[in-house]
Amino acid sequence: MIEIKNVSLWYDGFRALATITETIKQNQTVVICGPSGCGKSSLLRCINGLERFQEGEIIVDGKSVQSPQTNINQLRASIGMVFQHFELYPHMTALRNLSLAPMLVRKKSREEAEDIALKLLERVGIREQANKYPGEMSGGQQQRVAIARALAMEPKVMLFDEPTSALDPEMIKEVLEVMIDLAKGGMTMIVVTHEMGFAREVANEIIFMDEGKIVERGTDESFFKNPKSERTKDFLNKILPA
Amino acid sequence: MDWAVIPKNIYFLLGGLGLTFELAAISIAGGLLVGIIMGLGRVSSRRWIYYPATLYVNFFRSLPLILVIFWFYFLMPFILGRPLGDFLSAVIAFIIFESSYFAEIVRAGIGSIRKEQVFAGYSTGLNYYKTMRHIVIPQALRNMVPSLVTQCVIIFQDTSLAYVIGLKEFLRRTALVDATQFRSIELYSFAAIVYLVFCFAGSMASRRLEKRRGQGRR
Repeated sequence: MIEIKNVSLWYDGFRALATITETIKQNQTVVICGPSGCGKSSLLRCINGLERFQEGEIIVDGKSVQSPQTNINQLRASIGMVFQHFELYPHMTALRNLSLAPMLVRKKSREEAEDIALKLLERVGIREQANKYPGEMSGGQQQRVAIARALAMEPKVMLFDEPTSALDPEMIKEVLEVMIDLAKGGMTMIVVTHEMGFAREVANEIIFMDEGKIVERGTDESFFKNPKSERTKDFLNKILPA
Repeated sequence: MDWAVIPKNIYFLLGGLGLTFELAAISIAGGLLVGIIMGLGRVSSRRWIYYPATLYVNFFRSLPLILVIFWFYFLMPFILGRPLGDFLSAVIAFIIFESSYFAEIVRAGIGSIRKEQVFAGYSTGLNYYKTMRHIVIPQALRNMVPSLVTQCVIIFQDTSLAYVIGLKEFLRRTALVDATQFRSIELYSFAAIVYLVFCFAGSMASRRLEKRRGQGRR
């Protein structure tokens, strides 16, 4: 579904990503973790073309992200993204946040778009918030609306960029539950997160990144129990409860 | 003190106030139009748009308004080969001068929208124009409203500077009445009250808009 081949990214001479190679198959959930500034968020933004990399290639659903032949807007429509700070449109109700892109991009009628929007809000458990503005909702509710907004485009892939790190602890669970549901429902997902409980439950692969490189990858408990590199061990010691 | 001078000349004075409003309204409409174009130019990533817009804005913001008014008054006949009339040349000077201030308000308004909001729009498949139109500009406009209203109040006051090229707006007419009636204190006090009333109403409107903006929505 997603093929990342030797991708390197520089910011003014600083190398943010160094020849990253990774394949993500359909219906798989991959969790990426690592210290801040390790390049994990940059990698996500490269996948849907929000960031331009200088070397390598990323192919999503058979289309090369940076190729001039690719209609990037069309490709992005099939890649959902969820942000750390939700990024709901503050001047629109939850319902409008969800129905905007389906109407403008998929050319759905308002009735149809709102119908789908309401079903999705139901699915993430906040149908009653449909007519509220983002500023009137809690962080957890906002993030669930944001996930629903991405789902409204019926994406083939979902990217999550630290979806719970701006949330109060008691709201993390409600968001993770939605994500676990999605993963179990067969969505292809790349999740940047430090929620190792989530990783344990649904990840098909866990990647540890540092200084723009993939340091280690694991497929199951072995990643947590016997990390091969010192860097991974160090990192896991810091984020996992003793 | 003899306040009778005001009712005696009220039609003449109010006629000037009408001209003041006319000048302010045309300057605001034209200045806003040019200002939005220049402001969008100021946030463009295309150099051939960005640099001319930036030069324009910085140039006119560096000059005193009174100089720009004089300048166009003397320059336009030179360019066109015939006099333009004081009203039209004042209008052109105001539009060009005030648009550079509007442009900065527009630039700051768009700059106040975080780039993640743009990313959010892009990530759902919206193109640049749809993202600007539905996500960035509505939010930016909302942030800009108080500054825009304040700028309109300033323009209303600024119109009195058209005095220098002989335009018979409100302040000029006040001075003309004074020149024959010698009632400076009464006349200028009256002018001050008139300016005060309209400008205060303007800033009240701005404050109310700001308050409404803060309600419910982030």
